[in-house]
Amino acid sequence: MIVTWRIALRIALIMIVAVVLQVSFFSYLTLFGTTPNIIPLVAVSLGLLGGAMTGAICGFILGFVLDAVLLATLGVSSLMLLAVGYLAGRYREGTEIANTLVPPIMIGALTMAASAGFAAIQLMLGIDVQVSLLVLREIFVQGLLAFVLAIPFYPLIRRVLRPAIVDDVVAGRRMRGPIAAGPQRSRRRSSRRRTSRLRRATGVS
Amino acid sequence: MYRKQVRRRRAVLVLLVVIALVLISATFSQSSGGPLHSIQQGMASVFSPLEEGATRALKPARDLVNWVSETFNARGENSDLKADVQKLRAKLAKTQSAIGENEELRKLVGLDNKGILAGYEPVTARVIGRPQTVWYSTVTIDAGSHSGVAVNDPVINGDGLVGRVTDVTPFSAKVTLITDSENAVSASVLPNGPEGVAEPEAGDPNVMLLDFIDRNEPIHEGQMVVTAGWSNGTISSAYPRGIPIGEVRQTTVGQEETYQHIRLEPYPDIRDLDIVQVATNGPERPGVPK
Repeated sequence: MIVTWRIALRIALIMIVAVVLQVSFFSYLTLFGTTPNIIPLVAVSLGLLGGAMTGAICGFILGFVLDAVLLATLGVSSLMLLAVGYLAGRYREGTEIANTLVPPIMIGALTMAASAGFAAIQLMLGIDVQVSLLVLREIFVQGLLAFVLAIPFYPLIRRVLRPAIVDDVVAGRRMRGPIAAGPQRSRRRSSRRRTSRLRRATGVS
Repeated sequence: MYRKQVRRRRAVLVLLVVIALVLISATFSQSSGGPLHSIQQGMASVFSPLEEGATRALKPARDLVNWVSETFNARGENSDLKADVQKLRAKLAKTQSAIGENEELRKLVGLDNKGILAGYEPVTARVIGRPQTVWYSTVTIDAGSHSGVAVNDPVINGDGLVGRVTDVTPFSAKVTLITDSENAVSASVLPNGPEGVAEPEAGDPNVMLLDFIDRNEPIHEGQMVVTAGWSNGTISSAYPRGIPIGEVRQTTVGQEETYQHIRLEPYPDIRDLDIVQVATNGPERPGVPK
């Protein structure tokens, strides 16, 4: 991804919208006994589109903003989200994403990893009460929901960042190459011919 | 060139991890007036109007999604409710013979919120932010220090105890719910009144555990549990006496154990809070910082 100031602004906007949507919309929903979480989805998507560094930095910032807004322990979400953003980016840099199902699967799997990591950090920080086994269900269902939500959200994020994505820019240039330009050129020629025929018929030079 | 890039990338990654770890340890070690806390409060204040607007604007969409989800759940609930009706019929027969006692209980429990919150100034607030994991049982409300909300103020809704205020900004406040792993409430089982501590089961917002109730105390399913308002003169509970917490669902006693394992179902639907009431400017409770 080529990160210019405009693209950085778009990424910032995506992150702010994601945090506001998560806190004010998705957190209120209960699907299969759990709450959908789009924050890891956005961090992983940015990693898949922008590479390891973009993923890690965006994950860190997303986590920081989320913890600040929720007045939660600063750094916990940042640590997990920077890890999943980085891993997604590393995957992207090492592998060609040929199948459209790969991003949702990656997002689902890494959301599960983020939820499990989050649980591990919470346990390490000290929980004095009994922990329910429902936590495992929560982790699994959050992964599944992330997979489903990634189907519309990943293409949307990709669309917003399209001008910066190298693959799309190259594909766009190829589209404007000789084969794509052929019909355009012929259309221009035929319109010129039509104009000259009209001039001859009306006698206007 | 490539090596330099890799080195730079590793440095950035290590730096981010270190910053995250420093943030975690600093958040734990610093006082509530520390610089990080001020930054957090500042960001929360900036985002709170955005959150409030989004919460109001997205309510119809949320209701629609929840309606679909609830319709699926309704089938399962229907059979559960039928079983509940049968149980309740049996209970009704017993209850009718003790109407007088029931009246007395009602007074004790103080179902009327005005009674419970005598001496407090209730401030009504709307929930504007919720966490995304079961590990944080906290919500953000749209009333803060400008409305008189202070740290450790009890928060209730129409069903009973919701939690207490643990952080305040001028226009918003963080409420730590009774199902948060850091919360414990001194509780009393009605009508005979054995007292214990109600604490959550981390990861399950629909269950609480009542601890420190002697194994010989007769506790039955369906008994109501309210806040005990415990105090020994120097230390006391943050909650006044008599706020409903939940209902006893299951009791078990291990052979070698001194206390019973009592599972409670909290009265308020913790996952679906919308309007709450903060009990502000209450009487001084010894040992509860303001």
